Amino acid sequence: MRTINNIPSSSGSGLWFLLKGFRVRFFSALFFQAVEVAAGTAGYFVLRYYVDDIINTGDWRFPLIYFSLFYIGFALLRGLFSFLTARGVGGTAEGIARNLRNSIFDHIQKLSFSYHDQTRTGELIQKSTSDVDAIRRFYNEMISGLSRIFFMFLINLFSIFYLNMKLALLSIIVVPLLVAMSVFFFRRIHDSYESYQDQDGKVSSSVQENLTGVRVVRAFARQEFEMEKFDDENKEKFKRGKRFLINHAMYWPSSHIVCAAQQVFGIVTAAFMVMDGKLSIGDMVAYIGFLNTIIWPIQQMGRIVAQLSTASVSYGRVASILLNDQEDLTTGLDDAPLKGHIEYRDLSFSYDNSGKVLKKVNIICEPGHSVALLGETGSGKTSLVNLLPGFYRKDGGELLIDGRPIEEYSRHFLRRNIGIVEQEPFLFSTSIRENITYGVDRDVSDDEVFEAARAASIHKSIMSFPEKYDTIVGEKGVTLSGGQKQRIAIARTILKNPRILILDDSTSAVDAETEDNIRDALNSLMKNRTTFIIAHRVQSLIDADQILVFKNGEIIQRGVHQSLIAVPGFYKHVFELQNKIEAELDAELEKEAISG
Amino acid sequence: MAESHFKEESFSNKLSFKTATRILKQAAPHWPLLIGFIIFIMITAFTEAFNTYMVKNAIDEAVIPGNGPLLLRYMTVYGSLHILLAGTVFGFIYCAGRLGEQIQYDLRKKLFNHLQDLSFSYFDKTPVGWIISRCTSDIQRVSDLVTWNLLDMVWALTNITSAMVFMFLINWKLALIVAVALPVLITIALRFQKYIIGEFRKVRSINSKITGAFNENITGVKIIKALVREKKNLSQFGELTDNMYGASYRAIWLSAIFLPIVQLLTAVAFGAVLWFGGFQFKLGLFTIGGIQAFISYITFMMWPVSDLARVYGEMQQAVASAERVFSLIDTEPEIKDSPEAYDVESVKGDIEFKNVDFYYEKNNPVLSDFSLKVKPGETIALVGPTGGGKSTIVNLVCRFYEPKEGQILMGGRDYREFTQQSLQSKLGVVLQTPHLFSGTVMDNIRYGRLDATDEEVIEAAKLAHAHDFIAGLENQYQEDVGEEGTLLSVGQKQLISLARAILARPEIIIMDEATSSIDTITEDLIQKGMDTLLEGSTGFVIAHRLSTIRHADRILVIEDGKIKEMGSHRELLSRRGHYFDLYTRQFRRERQRDLHVFS
Repeated sequence: MRTINNIPSSSGSGLWFLLKGFRVRFFSALFFQAVEVAAGTAGYFVLRYYVDDIINTGDWRFPLIYFSLFYIGFALLRGLFSFLTARGVGGTAEGIARNLRNSIFDHIQKLSFSYHDQTRTGELIQKSTSDVDAIRRFYNEMISGLSRIFFMFLINLFSIFYLNMKLALLSIIVVPLLVAMSVFFFRRIHDSYESYQDQDGKVSSSVQENLTGVRVVRAFARQEFEMEKFDDENKEKFKRGKRFLINHAMYWPSSHIVCAAQQVFGIVTAAFMVMDGKLSIGDMVAYIGFLNTIIWPIQQMGRIVAQLSTASVSYGRVASILLNDQEDLTTGLDDAPLKGHIEYRDLSFSYDNSGKVLKKVNIICEPGHSVALLGETGSGKTSLVNLLPGFYRKDGGELLIDGRPIEEYSRHFLRRNIGIVEQEPFLFSTSIRENITYGVDRDVSDDEVFEAARAASIHKSIMSFPEKYDTIVGEKGVTLSGGQKQRIAIARTILKNPRILILDDSTSAVDAETEDNIRDALNSLMKNRTTFIIAHRVQSLIDADQILVFKNGEIIQRGVHQSLIAVPGFYKHVFELQNKIEAELDAELEKEAISG
Repeated sequence: MAESHFKEESFSNKLSFKTATRILKQAAPHWPLLIGFIIFIMITAFTEAFNTYMVKNAIDEAVIPGNGPLLLRYMTVYGSLHILLAGTVFGFIYCAGRLGEQIQYDLRKKLFNHLQDLSFSYFDKTPVGWIISRCTSDIQRVSDLVTWNLLDMVWALTNITSAMVFMFLINWKLALIVAVALPVLITIALRFQKYIIGEFRKVRSINSKITGAFNENITGVKIIKALVREKKNLSQFGELTDNMYGASYRAIWLSAIFLPIVQLLTAVAFGAVLWFGGFQFKLGLFTIGGIQAFISYITFMMWPVSDLARVYGEMQQAVASAERVFSLIDTEPEIKDSPEAYDVESVKGDIEFKNVDFYYEKNNPVLSDFSLKVKPGETIALVGPTGGGKSTIVNLVCRFYEPKEGQILMGGRDYREFTQQSLQSKLGVVLQTPHLFSGTVMDNIRYGRLDATDEEVIEAAKLAHAHDFIAGLENQYQEDVGEEGTLLSVGQKQLISLARAILARPEIIIMDEATSSIDTITEDLIQKGMDTLLEGSTGFVIAHRLSTIRHADRILVIEDGKIKEMGSHRELLSRRGHYFDLYTRQFRRERQRDLHVFS
């Protein structure tokens, strides 16, 4: 599969660059277009000889059928080349669109987290779809449309030159005016269309707002008010539609008059030349045909010229994705047995290279042990674990896995060996089976899938769906509860069988009962794996081999549950608060009972 | 895509007589425009054909005999007719365009206004995206059908007919050849359009899959990276783009072959004209001008025919669009004011549920035999698990839905005796996820009472304890809240919606407390605002916070559509039942948060 790399940033050279690999096809298609136009012109030459032949010689030099056959022959040629042109141009445009789509898709999934953190989904999708389509149309419609007008003009003008030089020069008097008018008017038409489209967007969003706020509208009985509000937007669209329309209604008649004037002038000139004997009557018949093909297409030219700017803008938007650097996924150690020994040594990290999110953190975690991270939101817990799979790079210090700096491993290797269970797991809109096998790059037997699902205590729930493991997840299928999603994500991680595990607050989004279920599943998952747990509840921490308390990017306390509750500090404070709450609750209940 | 559980009815794209007349009816109020553009396009097509005839005459009668003055006379007429043409071109563009905009305006208005009457049951099962397409692209297509598509048809018919007439006038035998070729052309064109339209339909459907894949790739990027799926994903996506390429390429191929075939067939017809025409010329029955005219006419006629596939395809789509639009207009609201309904003056804050049954789906009852009497001024807290029926009770009070069985009495009368407008204007509603409209803070609060003065709005904001934060905004009450209030926090939006409800001076308050995390200070403010609002009015609160629950006059534990427990906080606690469990759990959660245990 072809993906594009290193694209130029300027749209001119960029649109040329994209043609790479298609240039022969594309330019031969444009050449075929010239042949097609020439064949059409040749038909008029047949007509010319035919007319001169039948009128001048009472005695025919050729049998009449020859003229017909020639005419049809040229039409055949024209048809053939018209087909080749459309196929070549269309194939090029679709091919470029395909390359672009693939490249953008691949690029998006390889862009760094820092990029994704700053970019809105809707914007990326817009660029990947509408803008690619605009680029496709650039090749398919704009370039071939302009070149057709160009060839028609050139070839037919040449033909008139061949008939009579003076006549040729007199036939293109209005062309500069016509080009100017066309470009001028279409720029205006284009602008008024854009503003019409803007308003169309406003109309849509005002319908949307009304529908999403329907409860408020009804609750306050504001239907009338909403109708009036909508009518304003609706009227504005009507108004802008009229402006757009007036521009069209001005352009076409006025350019029509210019074209017609040229036509009248041309025909009269040619007719007098015939009367003066400078031109044959056959010449004149052909000339009328040539003249038509020169003038009228120019009327359309401005439309394409006005659209060129959209193509260039779209290119810039697509390039704004592709010009960002991808993560390096493959460089480094890619195949080593991993024990799961992890050491953070004086490690500093930040998102803007200021070293402020994590400050000289030191952690050593033995293979198969678990580390629990505790602390307020923003204290650096998630950032700490996000360094392990290479989602971000540290600012200073060392992060060692099995004694080697993390940079020596390829990101792919790290990610293959690290399993993550998130707070709100993401499932793909495909079957449950595929979601579970999503993380393994080999064929997986049904038994293995069931085994993983059982270990995650989700097998039974899945079997209760009508489609079982083939049930489609998400919008087009069954809606799963938070706990079910969580357990499918756990099954996915079990099947992946990573050495290192990250549990990012995996139980906070579900209710108490589900939490117990998930806890069992998690416990079986953690067995013999190096595990980092981010948690908000003490129950999740008690069994950890090491508990680290974070504050402002620093570890302020470390130890195990028993040791930590023995010394004053954050952990003890938290633990005591927990007990205090229970005491308070008891007190309150008692109070209510006594007074009640 | 939102169209998940929503089963779209299939709409045929065959034009039924009923649909056709109904579409035309949309244009009826603007009939001068309709008639206008039809006449203008007919004149245009006919004049073009006539002008070709003028050139023929000029060649035969002036150029060949060498009659200069006659030539000038012909060309003067020819030129003047072109000026007339410019006028008619202006005419049809203006009339058709204007008509199109009118129809769109009318239909959008009609649709939107109808939406304001439809019941919640409709919105529950219809995705917003679906409705928006009805209001935008479908209406566009309907208007195109009555204007540009109709124009194309009238143009094609007039064009072909007048060309044929003039050809018959010039030489009927040769015209006959063309007349024979025409049906063949049209048959081929129609045959082709079926395949071409089919391919384009495939392209569209693959295209929406591609958009979906992009969406998932972006939103799921973290897990894709974590699971090292890049390569496999790209190859799956590659299949999709390959399919897209294949379908598009086939569509291109078919279109690319269609036009040459039309051209070739017309060329064959013209070749035949040349051949027979030569003999006719010899006999003095055909002229050079005639040949010139024939090639023009045949070229003319080719355009509408080659356009046929496009126009036909568009019309099919438009008919389907029209039926969708009409189906929405025809949807009857489930809740309608009865003919005897009257505007209620005051409901006195007195509500009674009498043996109410309710369900959204027939075999899945939500409330059954539910009875409850609420005294004026009482505050009722509804607690219980999600899906237990709390929101349903509130929806029934608002008359967003009506009971399937039983009655709801307000001020002692069945509330179906009142008009919805008058009933709902007695309510004040604060939703769990507060909805703001784009506009200023002032606009949003004033939504509660449209004729309120600025001072009254500010007063309400003060009562809701929203004034302080609003005063801190850069533009204060004139601050733009952004689309759906995206520029404000959830807590701030909640405060504004409280002010909005306070301004409405409702007799009955309905509140759904926010569950999402709000900082403690804002939450205190919200609590105070709620107290102000609930003072003296009857209130239903779906409660999530302890303080709200404790303050309620009566607490209802709703589970499985039934009142599991009912009573005051104290009574219920001592019962050690459902409420006790709920309360202790919530107590722990809230205290943990208040004490900043882990946040």
